[in-house]
Amino acid sequence: MSKQVKIATRGLCKSFAGRPVLDHIDLDIMTGESHVIIGLSGAGKSVLLKCILGLIRPDAGSVFVNGENWCALSAEARLSRMRCIGVVFQGAALFDSLPVWRNVAFVLLQQGMAERQARARAEEVLDWVGLPNIADKMPAELSGGMKKRVGLARAFCHRPEIILYDEPLSGLDPVMSDVIITLMTRLHEEHRVTSLTIAHNMNLVRKFADRVSMLYNGKIHQQLPRDQVDQCQDPVFRQFVEGRAHGPMQVLTEKRKGGSR
Amino acid sequence: MRGATPIQSLLLRAGLYPMLFGQMIRRLLRPPFYLRETLLQCEEVGVQSLPVVLLTAIFTGMVLALQSYIAFHRFAAESMTATVVSMSILRELGPVLVGLMVAGRIGAAFAAELGTMRVTEQIDALWTLSTDPIRYLVVPRFLAALLMLPLLVVLADAVGIAGGYLVSIYMLDQNPTTYWNNTFLFLKQIDFYSGLLKALVFGGIISLVGCAEGFYCEGGAVGVGEATTRAVVLSAMSILVGDYLLTAWIFQ
Repeated sequence: MSKQVKIATRGLCKSFAGRPVLDHIDLDIMTGESHVIIGLSGAGKSVLLKCILGLIRPDAGSVFVNGENWCALSAEARLSRMRCIGVVFQGAALFDSLPVWRNVAFVLLQQGMAERQARARAEEVLDWVGLPNIADKMPAELSGGMKKRVGLARAFCHRPEIILYDEPLSGLDPVMSDVIITLMTRLHEEHRVTSLTIAHNMNLVRKFADRVSMLYNGKIHQQLPRDQVDQCQDPVFRQFVEGRAHGPMQVLTEKRKGGSR
Repeated sequence: MRGATPIQSLLLRAGLYPMLFGQMIRRLLRPPFYLRETLLQCEEVGVQSLPVVLLTAIFTGMVLALQSYIAFHRFAAESMTATVVSMSILRELGPVLVGLMVAGRIGAAFAAELGTMRVTEQIDALWTLSTDPIRYLVVPRFLAALLMLPLLVVLADAVGIAGGYLVSIYMLDQNPTTYWNNTFLFLKQIDFYSGLLKALVFGGIISLVGCAEGFYCEGGAVGVGEATTRAVVLSAMSILVGDYLLTAWIFQ
């Protein structure tokens, strides 16, 4: 395995009730790269992310992070290596029972850092995401956009080498979406964080991705650099990029002959 | 139980309890231990349950004294009221009623809290933050229930006996000294300790069922609701069945 590869999957398979969701997925994410995975809802993007994180056990295949096969590790060994990864969840997944600063500094506190130091670091990161003076608020008091930014702050607070984003723009208005993309880009460029993003939003792909993979029918259907996204002529890829209901991807059932009653 | 048939689902669910129990025991043997979380849960299970437990205990003692007096009065054995009240509360009613009350309060809270954390990906988030969710969420709740149930039962026993005393002395005009003597005259140490043992087992049942139902919850808000209902019903039923089995074993 090349030193350049940060995350790799080899022959990753996962089925639910006999339906293959991931079918021999081979994926390489290079160090410092921003890789975005797109695909229809239900295409298996989140399952792929969860397999990489060890939240779902794949039926077959391996996940390599920093050249080490994580599927062969015990749960304890895997937990100890999770510190190199930060994750931004779709719904932020903040801990309801903890104030914002404890959410953000969670890993630091678990590592035994003194509360004062951990709080100072949390406030610094909150400031970086544009949310000063909310350290003592509870997650329930925050708006959706604020929660997303706190989620980003939590993922980054312990300075991981890799950040995984699960649909980071879902449920956000266009302005807040742009704020999140800007923060993700700054994180990527200023701190050279390797990023793997699950997304639907083509705006995010155009602004943030170095490379794009499209997941379709359980396989990587297309993989191409950002500058080729708008030139790609593959009909499935084009249908997704242009957001059309009709095309090779059958989403709607065909209208019956003679019309419906 | 994504993609499983109903029978597979039932078998998988039945296997969750021993699986979670085994995982907890393994984690109890090795650090890290989350003392802060355990103390917070002790406060939740113990201190927060006190009002409901003590209120239940005092009225149980009072009604037991009243009913026993009425029954014993029919064959002029009113002096036995104190013995029946104390023995019933220590051996049966204290642990069982505390168990049922805590099952309703804490079993439901554990299932709802962990279930909500599961469906909102907070449990997944713990894993990604290098924290073992079973160690951080389940073990402190299990330890808190195990520690707090016996303490609650001791207090409930005392308050229940006091409730019986109040009714007997101030309503039924029994002699206070005789009543007090008869309360302890026929008691053995095993009566008290068997209640504590039951409380310990019930604490284990409530926390294990509540945590397992919440931790392995699926299906959004409906799933959390179903998990909470199952946690309360299964805990209550297990307490009653467990109570019989323990009684039969201790007093055989």
